[in-house]
Amino acid sequence: MSAYIVSILTEGAIFGIMALGLNVIWGWSGDFDLAYYGYIAIGAYMTLVLTIGPAVAPAHYILGLQLPYPLAVVIAVLSAMAVGLVVGLIALRHLRGIYFSIVTLGAVYVMYVLAGQYVPLFDGYNGLSGLFDPMGDWFGLDYLSYQWFLMGLCLVMFALVLLFMWRLSGSRFGMALRTLREDERAAAAFGRDIYRLKLKGYVLGAGVGGFAGALFAAYLSAFNPSAWSPVEIIVLYAAVLVGGRGNIWGVVLGVFIMGLVVQESTRFLPEVPGHPQIVLALRGVIIGLVLVLFLRFRPQGLLPERRYVDPEPKLEPATRTA
Amino acid sequence: MNEALLTLGFALVTASILALSAVAFTLEYAVTNVANVSHGEILTVGAYAAYLVHERTGSAIAAAIAAALAGGFVALAMHSAVIGPFVRFGASPTIVFIATLGVSFMIQNTLVIFFGASNVAYTLDPGAPRHLGPFLLTPLDLEIIASAIAITLVLYVVISRTRFGKALRAVSQNRELARVTGINATRVAAATFFLAGLIAGYAGFILAESVGSFNPYFGFSFFLITLTAAVAGGLGKAFGTMVGAVLVGFILEFAGGYVSASYNLAFAFAILAIVILVRPRGLFTNARRTVFE
Repeated sequence: MSAYIVSILTEGAIFGIMALGLNVIWGWSGDFDLAYYGYIAIGAYMTLVLTIGPAVAPAHYILGLQLPYPLAVVIAVLSAMAVGLVVGLIALRHLRGIYFSIVTLGAVYVMYVLAGQYVPLFDGYNGLSGLFDPMGDWFGLDYLSYQWFLMGLCLVMFALVLLFMWRLSGSRFGMALRTLREDERAAAAFGRDIYRLKLKGYVLGAGVGGFAGALFAAYLSAFNPSAWSPVEIIVLYAAVLVGGRGNIWGVVLGVFIMGLVVQESTRFLPEVPGHPQIVLALRGVIIGLVLVLFLRFRPQGLLPERRYVDPEPKLEPATRTA
Repeated sequence: MNEALLTLGFALVTASILALSAVAFTLEYAVTNVANVSHGEILTVGAYAAYLVHERTGSAIAAAIAAALAGGFVALAMHSAVIGPFVRFGASPTIVFIATLGVSFMIQNTLVIFFGASNVAYTLDPGAPRHLGPFLLTPLDLEIIASAIAITLVLYVVISRTRFGKALRAVSQNRELARVTGINATRVAAATFFLAGLIAGYAGFILAESVGSFNPYFGFSFFLITLTAAVAGGLGKAFGTMVGAVLVGFILEFAGGYVSASYNLAFAFAILAIVILVRPRGLFTNARRTVFE
């Protein structure tokens, strides 16, 4: 039982960091970015190729270094940010709305195909493995106590990211990102450089995603294309939506709720013999349904972002146009 | 040279299927002004329906009719349960985009529950390949190409010559103005979805035949190519979309023939990104004409 709780808390903390990164792009900047899971994957892949040592035939992958884990994490985050910068430079220049989403969908698909089919990069469909208990031998931990250590590490990192996002949320940068979401023209009229601001937010989000990916690699000790299954991706978007886009406490609540939904919704279903995918598929249907129902009936989420209302509105309500 | 001609033959088949799928998608876009991301699942459902009916009756024509009808009703259900309410509610295109992504996910997983996630083999006897002019095509390929052309012609007549087509064009140009003139926009949109579903369901059937197998995710990957064709031709423009589909089909087959078929979708997206960045309104738009020609 305690092993179950440890794994749930570790996963939850990593998932929370992912959701907070997505919130910068989708919640504050207002762009529905489908490439986001690509940055998580880059963080995980880069952490692995930098720590697991040279490839042994028949495996093939780039780098193959044995750097200390924290250094590998830093480089992994920087790589995710670099790719995010390239995608952002292309996609944020003129595109908004569904055109932005379509291009980022394309970007993530290209990343997926490259990682899955181009073997010399990350060993194609086999993926990478072999990152066992990073930093464990620094403290002389055995397998069980390492699980507790990793949980503590992920929870502390989650708390730090949350603190950072909380400070950022009320900062001038956080406010400026939101003005872009509400009205780009007005923001431009007040002298904001829209492209630069959006790009900054996008690269920051990609970096947070890459960081979550680096922790994910330590938790899974491996990563391959099947770890990017659509279920994982859509749960992430559902969590941010259900909790409340733009409100970091909402995002945390959403992660908690979707964690419960994913884990518990199918708990009382009987196992169907010879049909192992059925429970997973049913989860998928439920997650999709939650997504659609929330978009229709409560698109602002359970804990909506607080709106700043002018305490002395000058316009009479009747003169406003709909 | 010979290989290039062979590839050209394959490209004709791909382009025919793609043209049907893309024109159905663009019809859905035209009457709602939102992108239906679950469009690919219409093709998937069509393929499953065709397979099930074919197994029981052994008739390819019955399978084709079943595929079209299943597609039509699925598309109608998508419109009346999700897209229509969202559009009437005034949701932004991005919101509907995400919602239909959720619908697509639900349908894929429902199919997994009933049929499992593995590939289903589905092949018709293609017949002996014949030389037709410079191409080497099987009778099955010829039937696919001929049916695509026939459907396109019927669609052209429906859109440009009938009362329903007139209403469809009116709704796609300006929904509010169309309603003011007494057109029931919701009903026209629902009928358009049914029509698009018929075409897309049939496209799913011929796609499954030409690939030889399918699974619950097969429509979604084809949707990504469909999107490329539709955007290249100009979203919401039926006949531009067809030209876009033919172009994208040719580029894909030649790229796939000479490089590697596994990178096909990555290619499609490279084309898509370039088109969106350079000509976001499609390749064949001039400023004055924006809807159907």
